[in-house]
Amino acid sequence: MADKYLIEPDLNFVKKIVGLGGDTLKKCFQCATCSVVCPISPDNKPFPRKEMIAASWGLKDKLVTNADIWLCHQCGDCSTMCPRGARPGDVLGAIRSYAISEYATPKWLGEAVNDPKKLPMLLGIPVVIFIVLGLITGLLDFSPEGDKIAHSSFFSSWLVDLIFVPLAAWVAVVFGMGIKRFVNDIHNNAVLEGKTDKTKLEICGFLKALVKVLPTILKHSKFSECGENKDRATAHLMVFYSFLGLFIVTNIFFVVLYVFQIHGPYSQMNPVKWLANISGVALIIGSALMIKNRLAKTDQTSSYKDWYLLGLVLGLGLSGMLTEMTRLAGFAGASYFLYFVHLVFVFNLFAFLPFSKLAHFVYRTIAMAYAEYGNR
Amino acid sequence: MDKKYGVYICTGCGIGDALDIDKLCEVPKEEGLSVKTHPFLCGKEGIELIKKDIADESVNSMVIAGCSSRINFDVFKFDGCIVDRVNLREQVIWSHPRSEYPAPTEEQKDDEEFVDHVQMLAADYLKMGMVKLEKIDLPEPYKLETISKKILVIGGGITGISSAIDAAKAGYDVTIVEKESSLGGYAAKIRKQLPLKYPYENLIPPVIDAKIKEVEAYPNITIKTNAIVARIAGEPGEFTVTFKKPGEKIEFDVPFPLPDEMKVDENGKELDVEKLAEVYAEYNKGKNDILTLDPNGELFGAVVLAAGWRPDKPEGDKVAHLGFGKLVDVVTNHQFEEIAAKGKVIRPSDGKEAKSVVFIQSPGKSDDDSDFDYCGSVTSLVSLKQAKYVREDYDDGKAYVFYQHMRTPGLQENFYKSIQQDEGIFLTKGNVVNVSQNGDDLIVEADNTLLGEKVQVKADMVVLATGMVPATVDDSVVNLAYRQGPAFRDIGLFNGYCDSNFICFPYETQRTGIYAAGGVRRSMTIEESMEDATGAALKAIQCIESVNRGVAVHPRSGDMTFPDFFFQRCTQCKRCTEECPFGALDDDEKGTPRLNPTRCRRCGTCMGACPERIIGFADYNIDSIGSMVKSIGVPSEDDFDEPPFRFLGLVCENDAYPALDIAGLNRLTYSADVRFIPVRCLGSVNVIWIKDALSQGMDGIFLLGCKHGDDYQCHFVKGSELADIRMKKIGDALASLALEEERVAQFQVAIDEYDKIPEIINTFVKSVEELGPNPFKGF
Repeated sequence: MADKYLIEPDLNFVKKIVGLGGDTLKKCFQCATCSVVCPISPDNKPFPRKEMIAASWGLKDKLVTNADIWLCHQCGDCSTMCPRGARPGDVLGAIRSYAISEYATPKWLGEAVNDPKKLPMLLGIPVVIFIVLGLITGLLDFSPEGDKIAHSSFFSSWLVDLIFVPLAAWVAVVFGMGIKRFVNDIHNNAVLEGKTDKTKLEICGFLKALVKVLPTILKHSKFSECGENKDRATAHLMVFYSFLGLFIVTNIFFVVLYVFQIHGPYSQMNPVKWLANISGVALIIGSALMIKNRLAKTDQTSSYKDWYLLGLVLGLGLSGMLTEMTRLAGFAGASYFLYFVHLVFVFNLFAFLPFSKLAHFVYRTIAMAYAEYGNR
Repeated sequence: MDKKYGVYICTGCGIGDALDIDKLCEVPKEEGLSVKTHPFLCGKEGIELIKKDIADESVNSMVIAGCSSRINFDVFKFDGCIVDRVNLREQVIWSHPRSEYPAPTEEQKDDEEFVDHVQMLAADYLKMGMVKLEKIDLPEPYKLETISKKILVIGGGITGISSAIDAAKAGYDVTIVEKESSLGGYAAKIRKQLPLKYPYENLIPPVIDAKIKEVEAYPNITIKTNAIVARIAGEPGEFTVTFKKPGEKIEFDVPFPLPDEMKVDENGKELDVEKLAEVYAEYNKGKNDILTLDPNGELFGAVVLAAGWRPDKPEGDKVAHLGFGKLVDVVTNHQFEEIAAKGKVIRPSDGKEAKSVVFIQSPGKSDDDSDFDYCGSVTSLVSLKQAKYVREDYDDGKAYVFYQHMRTPGLQENFYKSIQQDEGIFLTKGNVVNVSQNGDDLIVEADNTLLGEKVQVKADMVVLATGMVPATVDDSVVNLAYRQGPAFRDIGLFNGYCDSNFICFPYETQRTGIYAAGGVRRSMTIEESMEDATGAALKAIQCIESVNRGVAVHPRSGDMTFPDFFFQRCTQCKRCTEECPFGALDDDEKGTPRLNPTRCRRCGTCMGACPERIIGFADYNIDSIGSMVKSIGVPSEDDFDEPPFRFLGLVCENDAYPALDIAGLNRLTYSADVRFIPVRCLGSVNVIWIKDALSQGMDGIFLLGCKHGDDYQCHFVKGSELADIRMKKIGDALASLALEEERVAQFQVAIDEYDKIPEIINTFVKSVEELGPNPFKGF
């Protein structure tokens, strides 16, 4: 711990957090009920009390670089029990959202993702890219031929990969840069605040810890320790596994296409198709459940960033399934259109991954691994 | 008055079952008094029985034996009659059940050695009641010849103004005396004040201007500015007040009592009376004696003291580490208010905008976490208010509050919450250890904050939440022409505040007829001061309307008695004058006490103090209690082979006596060998009663009264403490009689400590029993 900590409150930071859904943060009177009721907070330097005071004092450096904000699964126990209505869970959510923008470059894009006014622009970007690139390369065919409906004859797989492969690389680079800073920051912060027994960050040990926490993540066992929002764990688990399933399916498609030169669509009897369908349905049901939960929980703050992501996920699932169903029903036009829409959703989800709330899967995973590594 | 006695015994509530009533009736019969019993004396039939005797037999003095005098006092009240209640229920049968003190069986009834403790207890109490009736009279109220109903309000600040308005609204004439040239006081010097009404969230412009306009419109309020009180002479109902200009010297300036060092000669020997008078005259040269009334003085009935406070300026080591006095930009909350009242908040050093201001609530550094002297919740609230000034003046302003205690009582909690919501105001508990200059900034260092062990903050200005020193610390203000001195007596408990007991008796000072309100009573907000003002105004009215009827104001409200002196035997020892907790007595140049009855609270401390025993009340005097003591049967070896012990308990009727009743109500049992006599206050206990009790062979005597010391509960401030001193002195006298001093003791009990009563009594009884019987028994 440093000898003396010079406090320099950042008023703009406070304003930002308030804007991101943490409008209750100033109500905290430091009774520590939140830290006591939190089912997953550690005994040493428990959260979220210290985060609440730091937030109300505008101490950005103590929060953005703080791994603890990611250990929180926003189960809401603290917000329910808070005697002052300070809603620590929501405040941490707002801080996380701020932190995501902090670690993602370019910053303006991060801000755009959190700004409802920029939504048409964000949706417009893929539309423009698809059409412009499609027209230039000729890979977009507005009057596809053949009796069988094959989406690649409208929107060539080449075009998809031409766009999405570089996009993936870009996302990986953005994430990589962010993660590097993030890991260093949370380590320094943990050392400074006495939250770890490690003084040096060793990659090998860290990776081992990462492997160790994977079962926890896969089982959502931390999430289900939460009392208040237990039902959210189910929905989240569904979405989580459907994404995993779809990720696997997409990779199989990719490999099959380029290695075996076999085009889709696959037969409905194909086990890969089964996985795809199950995942698609789970995605719709899971995200619909999440929306339902949020709508039912009137006492929980839901900000734009939450609705943006949920809308995106549901849209993704729905457009995907509808594309398939219209294809099977033989509505060629509708199916092609829906496929286009689906790709717009995919682009949004993908391209803005490091900037949206979805980035939590990366940061939280790293924070949990770090907590494991640092014996938090 | 010709007394016609009657004794009435209620046999209800189990009294008839536990006691042999026929045998008890023998007690008055032996004295030739008529006795009647009734199974439900407090019922309609029972009361009719007594009323019939009053009408037909002209009975006018009755002993009513049954429940405690604290119950049914309104039922057993008969005009023009003296009534004494004998407590057979709470203090006999309920606290001494037959299961523990069995009644004699048929065979035992003729056994002369059988001791029926409970029956003896009841018989003694009945005898005591009968003898008391003989010795007391109906009181006649003391009425002043002239009475003024005007109220004097000292201080024209928010408290004084509010008090004057309240009293004027109730129809009383009021005079406000203000030392400054205009009304308003501190409330007129501030930028904004704390909220006065719901939602209690936002600062408001000071209300004082509107209040001044309001007070000036009342025809029955006279305002004297540029004036102070030179002296207040006389007593409630007819205070003679002399006013003067501040700084002026006049012959009616109040004389001061001699300081202790002037009361002795160069060898440290006490001066004799004449010499003392000479020195006193010299010391107060040019001032009239307290007994000389100003012919031009104005008459008032009661006084509201609203003299307010001055901002404290801390000094010494306690604040050295905060840089106060050394660094120009470290100021007190008062200095900050002055700056803020002028305009935007700027630094005193260079006039630069103060955009980062640290407010310090407690001196810190040491382990002692107390706030600055003379602080209170108001200083917490003022820091919050002033933090808001910084935010009002600058959009990017930051205000920090480091506190050990954040006190925001009542709905001011809402204000705290609203301040907390301000994104530029930062609150933390913390111990401020240092303030230093660092280039252009001040650096404030604090330990143990919510943000970490050791933190630093950069500041343009630092504000200390210093306290409000009551006006009575610097000055006597009221300038009473009382022998005990012009100021309120400093009993070393109130830091210069003039209260008597803050919790039990708000507004009441140690001087009857003078009621304090506002900042002079404790540090408080404008809102609290306005409410306080109402309380003091009502007290002043209560005083006037009690004096008017010749009854005590408080705490013995409505008591018509007052001390009566048998001056022929007075030795001018001045003990009564000096020991009176309320300065009710003035003595003349010879030292003869002069009572001011309306200053008196009827506690009887003078009666307890008087070595000549010449002071008494109509229904409470040396003889009445002494005779009760003497009427207690003390069995000796002539009566029994093993005579039971006898104890006397002199019990304060304010708290200890109710505690005894509650113990009985809860069926707590204690020794049946103790006889209780209620007294007005332990301060009224005269040592002669104890000597009487011992010389008639009683084995032990104890006083049961209120707590004294720091958290005293004595209704008369000093009574139980004085009794304690007197009881310690009695030890020597006992030793000369070859009696152990352990036979006399004093115990403290609070009204809610009834559960401790059995242990207190039984432990004392046991310890005396171990000493053995009083050797004077049977003489």
